[in-house]
Formats: sequence, structure tokens, C-alpha cells
Amino acid sequence: MNVKKLTQLAMLTGIALIIFVVEMQIPNPFPLPGVKLGLANIITVYAIYHYRAREVIMIVLVRLLLASIFGGNMMAFLYSLAGSAICLAGMLLLKRVIDEKYIWISSVFGAVLHNIGQILVAVLILGTSVLVYFPFLLVSGCLAGAFTGICAQFVIHRLDIIGDK
Amino acid sequence: MKKNLLIGICITIFLIGVIGIIWVLLPQHGTEVNIVQDGVILYQFDLSTTKDQTIDIEYDGRINTVQIENGKIRVLDADCPDHTCVRMGWLESGTLPIVCLPNHLIIQFVDTDESIDAVAK
Repeated sequence: MNVKKLTQLAMLTGIALIIFVVEMQIPNPFPLPGVKLGLANIITVYAIYHYRAREVIMIVLVRLLLASIFGGNMMAFLYSLAGSAICLAGMLLLKRVIDEKYIWISSVFGAVLHNIGQILVAVLILGTSVLVYFPFLLVSGCLAGAFTGICAQFVIHRLDIIGDK
Repeated sequence: MKKNLLIGICITIFLIGVIGIIWVLLPQHGTEVNIVQDGVILYQFDLSTTKDQTIDIEYDGRINTVQIENGKIRVLDADCPDHTCVRMGWLESGTLPIVCLPNHLIIQFVDTDESIDAVAK
């Protein structure tokens, strides 16, 4: 891996972390565990379509670890880790099926897979009664995924204009 | 064509979620409540007969303060980072419990009606 690649990955991780910290300060109008916009995943979605699988995994892992240290919630790390693992696996496959023009569709699937991962960990830790949250997570996943996907589309469009890639 | 199919799947997932939410939010008029931590039932109350009180439940050095008042139950205070359980307010829905993920705590209505249970299973 050359220095340029390394710097790009570090920049993306840094941007994702900044987005995460800023989002943490926005009060969540829906007081349900696991429901949030996840704006930092704009970077994840972008990276999936522009970098190789192991590079994306590096970005996401570092971001998750640092985000749970900054957020002071190590429990959240476990949930996000499971969510991200399933989400990344799914999206790296979907990338072959869904064109970059429709990146928001692939983002919706990613978000829903992320929530499936979270609920699986919750079931393991807390028992099956948390499954009632699943419909809420499905709906929030669809909306948040579409939103971050559209944001990623803007990011790609802007980067195309300034000629990077 | 492929695009329409994918959007269709998205919409289907969304609709399943909406239907699920409507089903979950249907209110239940039970009065039996239990408090579960790590799958173990710590307390069980009949809210219609329990006196007003507050209970401290500890997990790993952190405390959730559960309040029972006028036949209703809620988490009054918690020293977890996100306070989601506190903001959920009084326990109202029959199927949607109050959950505190950091402290592994669930507060839920108990299904006392066996016939409904049998049909649901």
C-alpha cells in the first residue's frame, strides 16, 4: 500500500469520525435503542464503491473503535461491529449487482443489514424479547439508508467535478 | 427492470416494518410486569396492587432507578451514557418493552392470557 492510498484512507476515516462526533451532538428525536441516522456511513458507502474490500474494512474498523472511545460507550462497539460486519459483507456483494448510479438502493440494503446485525447481538445478550424492536429498526434502516445513500451520491458527484478519480 | 425490482424490495422491507410497528404498538391492558436482566427475572409486580416505590437495579457498578407510581412503571434515572430507557417514559405498549442496552435491563408486561399466547405461538 503506497503513501497516497494510506493518506486517503486516513482522511476518510477522519472525516467519518468528525461526522460521527457532530451527529452525537444532535439530539435523537426517536428514543429507541439502535435508531439513528448514522451519517458517518456516508463515508462507508462511498468507500465501498471506490476502494477495495480490505481497505473499506480497515476504514470501518478504525472508525468504529475510535468512535466508541470518543462516545464513551463500549457496548455500542459490540453492536456496531456486528452490524457493520454483516452490512459490509452484504454491500460488497451488492456492489457487483447495483450500479454506482443507484448507490442509494445499495445503501438502504446496507442499513437494513446493519440493523439485522445489531438485533442479532441484542438477541444474544438480552434474549428474544428485544425482537419487537425489529420493525422499528427496519423502517429507520430504510429511511436512514436512503438518506445516507443520497448524501453519498452528492459526495461522489462533487468529487467527480473537482476531478479526483 | 433490475432497478425496479430492487426498489420494490426496499419498499417491501419498509412496509413490513410499518406493519410490524403498528402491531407492536397496539396497547395491552395487562398489569403484570417483570424486570429482566441478562434473561433472569429480577422482579415481578402486579401494578394494580403494588405500592408506589422506587427500586435501584445495579449492573456492573451502574444503577437504573425504576419508579412505580399510580399503577405505572418507568425508569426514573440511569447512569448509562445514552439515557434511552429514561426517555422512553412510562411502559405502555404490551409488546414493546423498556430496554436499557448498556445495563442489560428489560422491563415488560407479562402475557397472562394463556389463550392469546397459545394462538400467537
